[in-house]
Amino acid sequence: MSRHVATSKKSVWIALAVALVIQTGLISVQARRHIDTSFVRVWILDTLAPIEKLVDRSLQSVSFVWNRYFALIGVYDENQRLKHEVDLLRIQIEKEKEDVHEAQRLRAFLSLQDSSIGKTVVARVIGRDPARTQTVTIDKGAAHGVKPDSAVITPAGIVGRVIHSSHFFSIVQLIVDSQSAVGVVLETTRRQGIVRGTGGRDLDLDYIDDDNDLKEGDIFLTSGLDRIYPKGLPVGVIKSIGPRRGLLKTVQIRPSADLGRLEEVICIIERPQTVDVADPQGVPNP
Amino acid sequence: MARISTLGIIGKFAIALIAVVVMQGILSFKFKVFGYFDLPLICSVYYGFTWGNPVASIVIGSSLGLMQDSLSGATLGANGLTKTLIGFFAATAVSKFAVETTITRVLALFLFSVGDAVLVTILSLMVGSARSPSYSGALGGWLLSATFNTLLGVALFGYHDRWKHATT
Repeated sequence: MSRHVATSKKSVWIALAVALVIQTGLISVQARRHIDTSFVRVWILDTLAPIEKLVDRSLQSVSFVWNRYFALIGVYDENQRLKHEVDLLRIQIEKEKEDVHEAQRLRAFLSLQDSSIGKTVVARVIGRDPARTQTVTIDKGAAHGVKPDSAVITPAGIVGRVIHSSHFFSIVQLIVDSQSAVGVVLETTRRQGIVRGTGGRDLDLDYIDDDNDLKEGDIFLTSGLDRIYPKGLPVGVIKSIGPRRGLLKTVQIRPSADLGRLEEVICIIERPQTVDVADPQGVPNP
Repeated sequence: MARISTLGIIGKFAIALIAVVVMQGILSFKFKVFGYFDLPLICSVYYGFTWGNPVASIVIGSSLGLMQDSLSGATLGANGLTKTLIGFFAATAVSKFAVETTITRVLALFLFSVGDAVLVTILSLMVGSARSPSYSGALGGWLLSATFNTLLGVALFGYHDRWKHATT
């Protein structure tokens, strides 16, 4: 309610003059710096600061109680929700990691596809024959141009050849199968030979014209002589050299491609007229 | 009894004024946006308009300004002087203008805010306790502060009007 108190004009002007004189006096003495007015500020500060501190502490206490107790209502539910969210995000991260790996593999495949190994098609390994573990099933068949004796490779090395193909699927005989044989050439000396599958994890050297200069770690490449695999693709690395058995030493070769963990492969559905992928010395095709 | 009653009223006023200054200090510290508000100014205008008593408004304005200067570290007397004048003009405006209308309150709050800011800056510059501000930056700050003060002041007056209607 407004209370318009009747005051004489004189008293108003006196009050105003006194107030202005005090204030301007304070300002002017500060400007001239002759008289120390800090005591006025000190007095007022000493009066107001404790109140301010008290209010501040009260606010802090209220804030503390609020944050520690009342604000925690519903935290359990939020915690459960966040845990669930974290689980979902973990699953998503794993899936994305998988996608990245797949992309890397496919990129490698694509770079291989660019090389002059002929017309190719990428296939996914969808099964492994439980009875004959040296064959795998791929999701490409005759409809995609895959036919028997098509070479199947990975960027790391050769995998095997197609032995049966249906309209949309094919069976691939791995090079480690005991019925498999691959014409090879030694990378360093260019000596030619034949490796066979053992039915196990490794390959055996079946023939080479001179085995005296073989050593562990030597790499065998495809020779192209078998008319299945393009020339110059990695086949395997000499794992061990044993004593002579008959005319040849016992040589165990570890396949370059990891045949135990195949996911995507490349099927060569049409070979080029002249296949010369990696032959530094330019050995001519037979 | 009358003396006790008068002392009680003065005490309550003192507590209210101190609370305003303390609130201004704490809220400005806790929330940056509160630096644009000038609660002592709004209070001076509020008491001037609602009471219409120039002497009381001068005392209130002078006290609020002096306390504000002490806590803010500004030139002692700068806010005291401006708030004294604001209290005086607000109280004398009651008999000359229709201060019950919103448009008058908006204009008054805005002009008082800008005037207060300009005067405090000039006084501080004269004393040498402030560096010369950039005109565009200072003007922007003054206008922003005036807008904030006007909005809060109008809200406060609105609350006052509701309370007055409820009690009459």
